[in-house]
Amino acid sequence: MVALPRPAVRQERIPAGVTTRDAIHGELVLDADVVIVGSGAGGATLAAELAECGLDVVIVEEGRYYTTRDFTADASAAVRALYRDGGASMAIGDPPVLFQEGRAVGGSTVINGGMSWRTPERILDRWWREAAIDGVRAKDLEPYFARVEKRIHVAYQDPESIGEDNHLLKRGADAMGWKVIPNLRNQVHCPGSNNCAFGCPTGAKQSALVSYIPRALHFGARLLSDVKVDRITMHGKRATGIVGRVVGADGRPGHRVSVRAKLVVAACGAIQTPALLARSGVRSPSGRLGHNLSLHPNVKLTAVFDQPVRGWEGVHQAFQVREFEGEGLLFAAVNIPPGILAMTSHPRGAALHALMQDYDKTVVAGMLCEDTSTGRVRTIAGRPQAFYQLAEFDAHKLIRGVALLAELLFAAGARRIATPFAGVPELTSADDTRALYAHTIPRRAMEVVTVHMMGTAAMGSDRARAVTDGHGLVHDADRLMVCDASLFPTPIGVNPMETIMALATRAAAHILDNHHQFA
Amino acid sequence: MTYAHSPLTAALLHSLVPVVLPPEANDLADDVVAHVALTMGALPTNFRRALITGLYGYDTLAVAWAPGGRRRAHQLPADLAEAYYVSWEHGPTPAHQQLAKGVGQLIKLACYEHPAMQAALGYTPAAWIDKVTRRRLEVYGADIARQERSLIEPDPLRPPIKAPRAREVV
Repeated sequence: MVALPRPAVRQERIPAGVTTRDAIHGELVLDADVVIVGSGAGGATLAAELAECGLDVVIVEEGRYYTTRDFTADASAAVRALYRDGGASMAIGDPPVLFQEGRAVGGSTVINGGMSWRTPERILDRWWREAAIDGVRAKDLEPYFARVEKRIHVAYQDPESIGEDNHLLKRGADAMGWKVIPNLRNQVHCPGSNNCAFGCPTGAKQSALVSYIPRALHFGARLLSDVKVDRITMHGKRATGIVGRVVGADGRPGHRVSVRAKLVVAACGAIQTPALLARSGVRSPSGRLGHNLSLHPNVKLTAVFDQPVRGWEGVHQAFQVREFEGEGLLFAAVNIPPGILAMTSHPRGAALHALMQDYDKTVVAGMLCEDTSTGRVRTIAGRPQAFYQLAEFDAHKLIRGVALLAELLFAAGARRIATPFAGVPELTSADDTRALYAHTIPRRAMEVVTVHMMGTAAMGSDRARAVTDGHGLVHDADRLMVCDASLFPTPIGVNPMETIMALATRAAAHILDNHHQFA
Repeated sequence: MTYAHSPLTAALLHSLVPVVLPPEANDLADDVVAHVALTMGALPTNFRRALITGLYGYDTLAVAWAPGGRRRAHQLPADLAEAYYVSWEHGPTPAHQQLAKGVGQLIKLACYEHPAMQAALGYTPAAWIDKVTRRRLEVYGADIARQERSLIEPDPLRPPIKAPRAREVV
């Protein structure tokens, strides 16, 4: 094994075990038991569990290592630094769907809202029944969920951290008689800085960056940041390691990095993982690699109230409205900074000003839709490109969800509401919401975004229909595992982080129980 | 990625500021155009090239737009610049519409990320973050320290195969 080079000057803020591009001055070759590509919910969890049991783990992350003190309220700087492609990744289709992936140590857990929900039982039953995955029902996953919840400190918010925007959402739901529940989040006394999507500046959110990664490092794992993996090296059908390049400060590829390992894990998310496997020549006998992309399409409404709301003072998504969970619809209050609100709003000029000048009286409410359509990730010139066509059924569901959410906001006292539909005038009363159904709203007029990409290397026992087995080991390959939301056979209808972490913990148990196979 | 606008791109973006933004933002045009460069620098190379090509097309095709008097888009007076932008916003192809929407989004983002605009909106997140961060540490310091300690307490998922590796200090 070639020892990691020592930097000339020790970087005080970078913990032991982390090697950044500044410390790599030539070709680097490492040996390990396990190499994990990606340091997010899946990769970090797996790394910590394996390292603690004595395996030699190397994590390779394309993004930078940031610390809590790097995170500020400068939203656009954070997006440029922490989001892949400056947050401008897009699934091509009608409508195009803007999606966000974290690109930093800690992956998308650094930029998510911190919602921590177990996979709904109906979804796990479906996976067990339709994908024939053993040991995946709620009672089987219970110890893994419990372990994850302890590690990332899943808890309800302290009451003083809940801001007016969330109180208004709850008031509206209560007025409608709808089911509304407090959100479970991975946080330790989160004070409600409402900066979750741009890196938690208080350290309260227990992202992988401040939970599983330090734990993995403590137990001896090594982490290479700023290294983009070009491909997994294969010997026949056996994965033998990875090769990549340091990502320079200017984005250009630098020194070559190789890690030779007994087990290779792709944990870079449902967009990058299928592309990495495809670039590496991995072929699934199912032909389903990159298929089955689900997105949980999100839309937002902007509601203006008479009184000050100051949505940035208080936690992101303190409550979820679950009244329509059976239809695959969740509602929450999701304050976003003015720049991003303006960017994703349809008006311009004076009309934009009319909307924005009431920013401090605004509640931004979002809706998550459990989708029925699926898209595909294709690998074009080595890069992934997502394609996704919103189904008519889901488009109608979005319209219904917007109408319902608008009713809730009017019940809470909203005076006017901007919808995510171009060409639809502002709503000024609950009657207007009912008129939404009468509008013909073409899909291309819908402003749809997502942060939940799933399903592109789905697990299942049938190698003719699934890319991996029930633990994430790639069918028809040896010593190659997937450990991220790519594994989901179906969308799950709730925020996916805890599901990914529980599956990663279960995968770690499988590796440890069968470690002789990977020796 | 380091990216700087060409003079033509900068001029075109300048001409679009009054079209996309309210009059209150006119004085910020230089800063807005500079911020758009930062955002474009973070885009994937192919995306950025396509956007620049699109902007070039937007500028030059104005010559063939009858009301424009054979001028390029960045040379149009304000009223015609607005009308030309609208012709793309509701243009004949999704490419026209997406280009108008995309460049509009970049300009809107830049404007409302500007400290002066945020101050005008009363948006003061940094002060709030400072306040609640301090209060969290004062009130909940013991709980926070307990969670930090728990992150490195041994709790192996399975009996260790071998002792964890000694920390290799870089």
